[in-house]
Amino acid sequence: MRRIYILALILILASLLFFTFYDLLHPTEFETDKTQISDYYIEHGVKETGAINLVTAILFDYRAFDTLGEATVIFIAVSAISLLATKERVLVSNTNFSPIVYQGISFIIPFLYILAFYLIFYGHLSPGGGFTGGVVIATTFVLLKMTFGIRYSREEKSLQRRSLIESCGAIGFIIVGILGIVRGDSFLANGQAGFDLGVAGQLLSAGIIPILNLFTGIKVGSGLAIIFHRLVREE
Amino acid sequence: MDRVIWLIILPLLTAFSLGLLKLYFKRYFNYIIIISSTVHIILAFVVANQAIKEPIVYNLGNWSPLLGITLVIDSFSALFLLAIVTLAYLVTIYAIKFIKRDKLKYHTLSLLLLTGAIGIVITGDLFNLYVFFEIVSISSYALAAINKDKESFEGAFKYLILGSISGILILLAIILIYQSTGTLNLAQAAVKFKEVPRNLKVTILTFYLIGFASKFALVPLHSYLADVYSKASVTFTALSSGIVLKTSLYALIRIVYILFGVEFIIDSGLQDILIYWGTLTFIAAHLLAYQQNSLRRLLGYSSIAHMGYIIMAFALANKGGIIAGSYHLTNHIVMKGALFLATGIFIYNLKDDQISKLKGIGKTLPYSSLIFTIAALAIIGLPPFNGFVSKWLIIKQVLEANYSIPAFLILIGSLLSLIYYLRVIKELYSKANDDKSLVKEPLILKLPALTLGLFCLLLSLLPSFAPKLLETLPEFLIKQNNYINLLLRR
Repeated sequence: MRRIYILALILILASLLFFTFYDLLHPTEFETDKTQISDYYIEHGVKETGAINLVTAILFDYRAFDTLGEATVIFIAVSAISLLATKERVLVSNTNFSPIVYQGISFIIPFLYILAFYLIFYGHLSPGGGFTGGVVIATTFVLLKMTFGIRYSREEKSLQRRSLIESCGAIGFIIVGILGIVRGDSFLANGQAGFDLGVAGQLLSAGIIPILNLFTGIKVGSGLAIIFHRLVREE
Repeated sequence: MDRVIWLIILPLLTAFSLGLLKLYFKRYFNYIIIISSTVHIILAFVVANQAIKEPIVYNLGNWSPLLGITLVIDSFSALFLLAIVTLAYLVTIYAIKFIKRDKLKYHTLSLLLLTGAIGIVITGDLFNLYVFFEIVSISSYALAAINKDKESFEGAFKYLILGSISGILILLAIILIYQSTGTLNLAQAAVKFKEVPRNLKVTILTFYLIGFASKFALVPLHSYLADVYSKASVTFTALSSGIVLKTSLYALIRIVYILFGVEFIIDSGLQDILIYWGTLTFIAAHLLAYQQNSLRRLLGYSSIAHMGYIIMAFALANKGGIIAGSYHLTNHIVMKGALFLATGIFIYNLKDDQISKLKGIGKTLPYSSLIFTIAALAIIGLPPFNGFVSKWLIIKQVLEANYSIPAFLILIGSLLSLIYYLRVIKELYSKANDDKSLVKEPLILKLPALTLGLFCLLLSLLPSFAPKLLETLPEFLIKQNNYINLLLRR
């Protein structure tokens, strides 16, 4: 009986929501005054930030403070998981794969690293960036652990090291931001604080954006690797 | 000018570097935390003092407010800032002794919680507010489970589920605002919001209301709170009821007043809804608190009840209501902080917080029992404590707005709280059967609790020694154009 009540309640709320959104989504023509800011970004973004990739320009320059917040959210999630999911022991993986898997994984790892750092360093030029690159770094750890197994004795130490790397990434992000204050402007200022924006389209351009990307990549990569380690469990 | 941003950078940087510092300076770990918090509280007082004289606007990355993110501090946020930072400072000192396991993680998470709370209070951007809201939420889920026993996991899990749903609703509201106004800046959105059709406004309001109300636990959405509080460490419950609940309330108030405007609150019937919702909340919460045997659960329900009072005051949408509401809110942060910290000393000795086990503790733990009694009398609303003044202001304002039944029910609510707090006080000071000789009240636990207890007395004088602060509170809230002009520099 309780289930029926719950179902009815959900249906009523869902239909209310549906009708509201149905009304909203009818006139999908955007009026010009509602796209004012995105027009501005498209028109002046490259000139003001030096980044060709406008998504990165917004993420790491116009709204870099939000990105710092998002990176903090990941940091908290990592802290929370390593706080709550501490295990006394990790079972050693004894699954045996065929040699093809071992060889293939060993072969692919360097390429994955190249991809990850490409994504990070070219974040302001092509799709990618710190978050994406960091995730690719984390996948290399995941692949290695899945194929070659987890040995507990070395585990705690490497986790500690990794969480230090993560802290360093986060601290680096803030210090780059503080550089803006030191140079007489505001927190996370880029072009305004006199950082050289360079020629848009070159690898060394866009001021602090590539540096922020690098720190975010380090942070996200080690953070996600820690999360995987803490949660992995083998039956 | 740059001082504003250090309010956020300093705890954030400390939190990130604690792991590194612990590795190399393990012996000085406590000192590092104390120094960082002391610098932070001084900074907060300097900034707040400046902001009360003249509001501060800070553009991050020096972008214009429309393009980037802007921080705004007016006297309303300055008051919040002061209350939050002071409570966090005292609780941090208390936690140095109180928290024994996972010290590093606890301090990291509580510093991040403080960062997020300050961010919510001073940001002028809707999405930035959401980011900080998430920081506060996620760190409080982790802190709720820090004791790592079955009950706290259960409470934290409920908290996580409810918090995620409320987060989604708030994000949905932000998306709808962005779609209909094309901006995330609170002031610019408020300008464009006047052209938004009414039914869309109501939808956005509903999302925000449910989203934030389930965070600060108005009655049908309150169920998680007591479960979280029943086994969580008292330092977290003090932070939660002082910071997490209050900042969610702050966010709702700021958005409703600035984005929707005072006329909308009155025209749309939101005023009636919030007043009666608040009444329902405090009556139900007082009745539930009456039935509790665990002191932490009792205090949790009492927190819910006081959120009801505060939301009623803010729903009045006039100058007096805002002043009464903010005053009561500050008082509640102090009183509940004192109660929780005193309870912490009981738990420190007894390892339990069942009310029946507190028998005779007034003799063995004289200071903490005295603090508990003072704060309990203040929270009931007896003179000469601060709770009396602010509760009286709320009743007066509610009566003036012609809500006589809710005003009468506030008195009934106070009577109910008198009954259940007296039950605890009676246990404290009744004669014990057995002699408890091994009890102790360490100075470092006593001092923060005593400070908060003292504030319960001192804050009743707030209207006479800081009239300017209270007078300027509604300035950038009640007239949305003031805020818009301030933020957009027009």
